[in-house]
Amino acid sequence: MEWSWRSKLEALLGATIVTETDPAWRDAHAADGRDEPVRSGSRFRLPDGTIRLIVHADGEHVEYVDLEPGELTGREEALLEWLLAELERSGRAEDGRRQRPDREMRRLGEWIQEQIGAGRLKAAVPDELNAGGRLGSEWVPFLLMADHTAKANDAELEKLLQAYLEADVLLVPIRDQEWLILAPDELLREEGGEETPEELLEGIARGMHDMLASEWLGENHIAVAHPIEPASAVVETVHLLRETVALGRRFHQGDTVHVPWNIHLERLLHSIPEEQRIRFIEQAVSRSDLLLEPEIVTTLETFFAMNCNVSDTAKKLFIHRNTLLYRLDKLKQDTGLDVRLFRDAVLVKLILLLYKVTKRR
Amino acid sequence: MAGVRLEHVYKRYPGSDVASVKDFNLDIKDKEFLVLVGPSGCGKSTTLRMIAGLEEITEGKLYIGDRLVNDVAPKDRDIAMVFQSYALYPHMNVYQNMAFGLKLRKFKKSEIDKRVREAAKILDIEHLLDRKPKALSGGQRQRVALGRAIVREPQVFLMDEPLSNLDAKLRTQMRAEISKLAKRLETTVIYVTHDQIEAMTMGDRIVVMKDGVIQQADSPEVLYNHPINMFVAGFIGSPAMNFIKGGLYERDGAVHFKADGLDIELTEGKAAIVREKGYVNKEVILGVRPEDFHDEPVFLEASPKSIVSALAEVVENLGHEKNVYLAGLGTDTVIARLDGRSDVKEGANVKLAIDMNKIHLFDTETELNIFEN
Repeated sequence: MEWSWRSKLEALLGATIVTETDPAWRDAHAADGRDEPVRSGSRFRLPDGTIRLIVHADGEHVEYVDLEPGELTGREEALLEWLLAELERSGRAEDGRRQRPDREMRRLGEWIQEQIGAGRLKAAVPDELNAGGRLGSEWVPFLLMADHTAKANDAELEKLLQAYLEADVLLVPIRDQEWLILAPDELLREEGGEETPEELLEGIARGMHDMLASEWLGENHIAVAHPIEPASAVVETVHLLRETVALGRRFHQGDTVHVPWNIHLERLLHSIPEEQRIRFIEQAVSRSDLLLEPEIVTTLETFFAMNCNVSDTAKKLFIHRNTLLYRLDKLKQDTGLDVRLFRDAVLVKLILLLYKVTKRR
Repeated sequence: MAGVRLEHVYKRYPGSDVASVKDFNLDIKDKEFLVLVGPSGCGKSTTLRMIAGLEEITEGKLYIGDRLVNDVAPKDRDIAMVFQSYALYPHMNVYQNMAFGLKLRKFKKSEIDKRVREAAKILDIEHLLDRKPKALSGGQRQRVALGRAIVREPQVFLMDEPLSNLDAKLRTQMRAEISKLAKRLETTVIYVTHDQIEAMTMGDRIVVMKDGVIQQADSPEVLYNHPINMFVAGFIGSPAMNFIKGGLYERDGAVHFKADGLDIELTEGKAAIVREKGYVNKEVILGVRPEDFHDEPVFLEASPKSIVSALAEVVENLGHEKNVYLAGLGTDTVIARLDGRSDVKEGANVKLAIDMNKIHLFDTETELNIFEN
């Protein structure tokens, strides 16, 4: 794809191509009486000595890179000037700019952020941001939040995602280190698939997390939702996915992939005021400190994850069934709660979740 | 292949006053199989993730080979990771899963094919190459995850509890296979686990961590026989080492350890050390491994100065050996591991001799091993 020569140029020069719309300095430059036109390949020396190399210029936009003086030899600068002028002449620079994915998507991201800020969650995407009408079809939305401080390159990220999903994706940068990824819903059309769409979506998100962690810049968090028509639902979906990541990080520390269909209870508990949470814990269990012991917490979390099945839990924990029964009996003796009973299991599950968001005394 | 060097590495998370990893110094040799082990929250995974580039290093230097990699992205560190979750790419078949990293790096198709098939052969998954992950068992998925790392031919393999999602039988099997694989590939492996058996059986060297600090880094044998402090002594070994609080005193030119229910005489060599270090007439903690109790008549006869008597509260018969839970030696329950042929009975008093050459004594305040420091 045409975009790649820009990435390569950036990598080669160790500098970012800056795009400015109708920059004031172009007029100042002309008014300055300089005879060099602002066009692809032309070079200027700025007052501080920086060399400004024009990558592309048209009536509206100017793209350039700034280089430190002495960074390139005169011959290298001349070579670049010639190369960029040739690209311009062959029309490839212009094509490349048209295909450049980030400009329109960045504007869409800014618009989404504005709508969320204004509480307009049901807002429909205006026509000029609708990616040529593509947002009217179904897409699978992923929200990616990077944990690292290294500056991400959108083009590189897009390339990785396209390779991973084996499809064209729309990459919408929303905030710093946060992207909405729209993937075609063909992803879910697995032949002979026995997995539910939720299992498949979570699996793809987990794979995406591991792939980005090792092939990109490091740790990240990903949330995924059911397919949507972004034109009408993108704002609401980004809001939901953001909330999902926030709740997932709070309630399930250590997990990096979060799905909205697994955190209904967490969402409800999060909305309860702190004071009431504390009162609930105090009233529900006499010796709540026992539910803070790591061994008990791991045992109970595994027990609930295994749908309260004693044999499966023991197997998962690599302990004898009788050891598990002993632990559960001891818990019953000390707290009065028998998690093998549905009523008590619900209470303990709620208490465990509340501990994660409640300031303990 | 390359070694890895960590120099005064710290990790502090924003908003936390306490460092998760503190002044971590370690030189991991080329082709070494190094295991980081410790209880949950000890900083072992954080350390591995810093080596991987998943976590930023707050302070200190990290070298892979001779290259300082603090600011190098994970993809450019020439490492391969196998995660606990080993999330395979569900929409790709096994071949595509293994080939993905190479495709990204623009390897030639023929080279990708060669590497994938070679790795599949090593891992015995050649017949699975066309299958999607959902059609694989847990063990097969784990092999694919390993395969994905192997094809990269990285300088260093990083593994974060890669066996913890497998059942006990498969875990034992994969443990041996990973060790074998590391030797065959002649590569550096850094392996994180909380399971001390995994650590003991796989590592050329083990680093025991607690609260973000290295407690001891040495071979499995040294860690087991010469633990530097009570934490290492208690963490390595299953059942764990018994600790009995008591005091040392001198009688008739010999040094004795005395606690509730026992009075045993130290060997001359050990007595000389405690005398020299001024521990006579002071409180210490005795450490005895369960297998250093003996009830064979010949041992009892040969060790009259280290015989103890206790109540066998519970006897667990494991066939080849018996774990006996004893009451009356110090304040806590003591576990002795006796030969399977022992006729010890539950509820009976039992006479046992302690192998005094193998005991440890710990300082009550510093918890350091008096014989090793």
